[in-house]
Amino acid sequence: MLVLSLCLVAPFADAKTIKVAFRAVETGFDPQKVEDRYSVAICENLFESLLTYDWLARPVRLVAQVVETVPEGEEGGTRFTFRIKPGIYFADDAAFNGKKRELVARDMEYAVKRFRDPVVRSPYSWLFEDKIPALDAYVEQIKKSGAKFDYDRPIDGLTVIDKYTISFKLKEPDFNFVYFFAMPNVVPVAREVIEKYGEDTMAHPVGTGPYILKEWVRASKIVLERNPNYRGHTLGTEFADPNDPWDKDAIASLGGKRLPLIDRVEITPIEQEQPRYLAFMNKQHDYIEETPLAFVTQLISNGKLSAELQNRNVRAFPELQPEIVWDAFNLDDPIVGGYQPENIALRRAIIMAHDINSEINIVRSGQAKRMYSLVGPGVVGYDPSFRAIEQDYNPAGAKAMLDMYGYVDKDGDGWRDMPDGRPLTIEYKYRANEQEARQSVSLWVKNMAAVGIRMTAREVLFADLLKDRKVGKFQMSGLAWIADYPDAQNFLQLLYGPNTDISNDSRFKLAAYDKLYLAALKTPDSPERNRLYREMSRLAVAYAPWRFSVHRQFTHFINPWVKGYKKHPILYTSFKYLDVDVEMQKKVMQQ
Amino acid sequence: MGAYVLRRIGQMIPTLAGVMLLIFVLFNAVGGDPALVLAGKITNKEQIENIRKQLGVDQPYHVQLGYFAFEVATGFTCTWRSFTEKPDAAKAPANADLKAGPKADPKADPKAATKAASPSGCQAVRSWSTNEEVPKILMTRIGPTLTIMIPVLVLETIIAIFLAIGVAYVRGTLTDRMIMMICTVAMSISFLVYIIVAQYYFGFKWGVFPVQGWSDNFWKNVVTYAPLPVMLAIFVGLAPALRLYRSFFLDEINNDYVRTARAKGLSENTVLLKHVMRNALIPIITNVGIAIPSLFVGSFLLESFFSIPGLGREILVAVNRSDFPVIKAATVYLAMITMIINLLVDVAYKAIDPRVTFK
Repeated sequence: MLVLSLCLVAPFADAKTIKVAFRAVETGFDPQKVEDRYSVAICENLFESLLTYDWLARPVRLVAQVVETVPEGEEGGTRFTFRIKPGIYFADDAAFNGKKRELVARDMEYAVKRFRDPVVRSPYSWLFEDKIPALDAYVEQIKKSGAKFDYDRPIDGLTVIDKYTISFKLKEPDFNFVYFFAMPNVVPVAREVIEKYGEDTMAHPVGTGPYILKEWVRASKIVLERNPNYRGHTLGTEFADPNDPWDKDAIASLGGKRLPLIDRVEITPIEQEQPRYLAFMNKQHDYIEETPLAFVTQLISNGKLSAELQNRNVRAFPELQPEIVWDAFNLDDPIVGGYQPENIALRRAIIMAHDINSEINIVRSGQAKRMYSLVGPGVVGYDPSFRAIEQDYNPAGAKAMLDMYGYVDKDGDGWRDMPDGRPLTIEYKYRANEQEARQSVSLWVKNMAAVGIRMTAREVLFADLLKDRKVGKFQMSGLAWIADYPDAQNFLQLLYGPNTDISNDSRFKLAAYDKLYLAALKTPDSPERNRLYREMSRLAVAYAPWRFSVHRQFTHFINPWVKGYKKHPILYTSFKYLDVDVEMQKKVMQQ
Repeated sequence: MGAYVLRRIGQMIPTLAGVMLLIFVLFNAVGGDPALVLAGKITNKEQIENIRKQLGVDQPYHVQLGYFAFEVATGFTCTWRSFTEKPDAAKAPANADLKAGPKADPKADPKAATKAASPSGCQAVRSWSTNEEVPKILMTRIGPTLTIMIPVLVLETIIAIFLAIGVAYVRGTLTDRMIMMICTVAMSISFLVYIIVAQYYFGFKWGVFPVQGWSDNFWKNVVTYAPLPVMLAIFVGLAPALRLYRSFFLDEINNDYVRTARAKGLSENTVLLKHVMRNALIPIITNVGIAIPSLFVGSFLLESFFSIPGLGREILVAVNRSDFPVIKAATVYLAMITMIINLLVDVAYKAIDPRVTFK
């Protein structure tokens, strides 16, 4: 009896558990419906995309996940065919009536159709817009008629060839299309699950991923447990850097083992910075990611960990995310917009008058790097050698340029005016209740005053700011973009003319830029495409629709019992590639 | 009294209608476009229009107001389409099951099949961002909020009453002045400062309480997670309550009936706790009555800093996401609670002071 009891208890007693916090509240786990990164991060563990990224390879590298190989773009980059590996099963669910449910090509077809179903209101419907003409036409048709999306209707260009094979035929070449299938929410879903749960799919995620959603108290607790149907995966070491200590630790801890090793993950959303930080410092959490700026400087000084963290053997993982932060001009605005030399001169002078070094050192506490091109670091097409002196801090140069183009004080009020005598006043709109944005805008106002430009700061509610940007009702505003997939094109589309009203908030319309953009889309990854990307950054420097600001740096702190930790720049979570020293964890952590 | 209560209930209907109208006007005037928040980072006009259509915010204002009134009255949301359209599952081609792979089996779960077949039917009001049923959101969040706020209100009131009567008794002395000065200083400091400092010292530095957290177990919450936020809320609420209640007691303590009671030879305890307190309780009850509705929305600061899944935090999240169904429901629900509690407080006056009559 005692032996039996021990046998029953032992697996739970030795269960490997990770406790962490998210810095925002999740919305739900229907992969086609969610957009916020914390919900998508959970989906990443519950579902499996067709492709994924090699965990250790830098720069990132696509690898197959549930398909046999990463497809090459056929027919000049217009056809992509995926063959799903047989024998992959969904987690058990009542929707399957007690039967094992195998992953098939229809599940991916169904997911793609869901992205475009108007009723689903997917925030990622753009991924499959303007790609497959028959799908676009059908969606247009049902929008007009008000009919429901018929998921049984065959769509040309979205073809299920056999049980395991699906093929996409695009109207234009797009070599980045394949990246969509590595996104954690572009995942196959089982139709019977979606239909069974109807409006409640956000709370009933059923995928083929390594974890299942065991418990969910929204905004309070998310518990994941190992999916018994999951086949397991291993750590790829082919592209590891032998000199990288994080890679070495990952290989030593995880190499050759069937993953995941973590049995249970408990996540607490904590929006406030202090409790999230203190929960880690108090050993309630195994690691903290994206440590609040206000506390990073207390924990690391001149690259050295504080004595307390050194004594605790805590490790710090600095991460420069594939993202950009910039200050946008509205090119349609009568003051800061326009493409004439004097318009460009004004924008360039404003950029030169902005003290980017103070922005980094004071506003961002040194936790950022300068942004020199349109592209975020670590993605295909990022050129670390790209520099633009036109974006350097140079107040004297700014004044000279303003004087040269006639932006001088004409009415004697101490502020510069437009060359035609109109007052030169610029309004900078920023998001309400954001301390960092408020500080950044204060710096802008101060820097502009130093060169005689009158700038006003206006705090706007988030929803209103989104609207103002979309309809071009602003002069200047701060924006940020994190890569959806690791290719420069995901950033460069932000200035593509036809994307005005979509994602090009600067409303920048330059034929030369658009031509380069379209040419790059049709070109596979190559030095030629990198040249096109570089040219686009050059044009952005020349016409100055943006003040290139920073790439934010985040620091993650990891307790010593967490083994194999490495943060991936594109994927959101590390649970699949972690181990814990349970003995040490039990001894130290607060239970 | 019955007629009075009925009359007051009757008056609640136009009041609630006024509140709803005000909420509706405010949201439409200053609320921003929810479709933009929900649309995602790459979006176009068509997509925004589609979302507006799905949410029903593309309808004329009077129609939207009608939907809102219907939702408040029934807890369900419907559109004209719901009444005119028939479920069209039958439209699928006969051979669809062969072509489209597995589908829900209507025999196995007829309810699910009906659900799938009639998405345009009337349904419970749902959050725009999470799709959760709004009544369910309110019901699941109210527990943690009350776990914190009921002890706060009860303890704060009791402590403030006894401190106030003590301070009123020693009015004008150094003790009285010192306590009033401490109260003024305490009131001048932001609640946020108390939370940050207390969380740091009590939670982290001294480890007396957990820094944050909440569990499924009521008693664990009461014993482990609630004490620090409750103590903080009491500490912050005590100073203004003490000052206010002291003034109520001072108003009574100088009255003739108190002098008469003392002249009759009653002990000081009897004078204060029986005669003075009974009369001072009427304004105190009014004050507590005003505070009761706030119990049901909680403190978003406390809930947010201590990771308590309560209603205050939920409303804050909803505001950040322009999740109007949740905000509207919470506002209407608060208005209703306020009216009901006002009525109960008025009825309670009668129990405390028999001289009160209902007209």
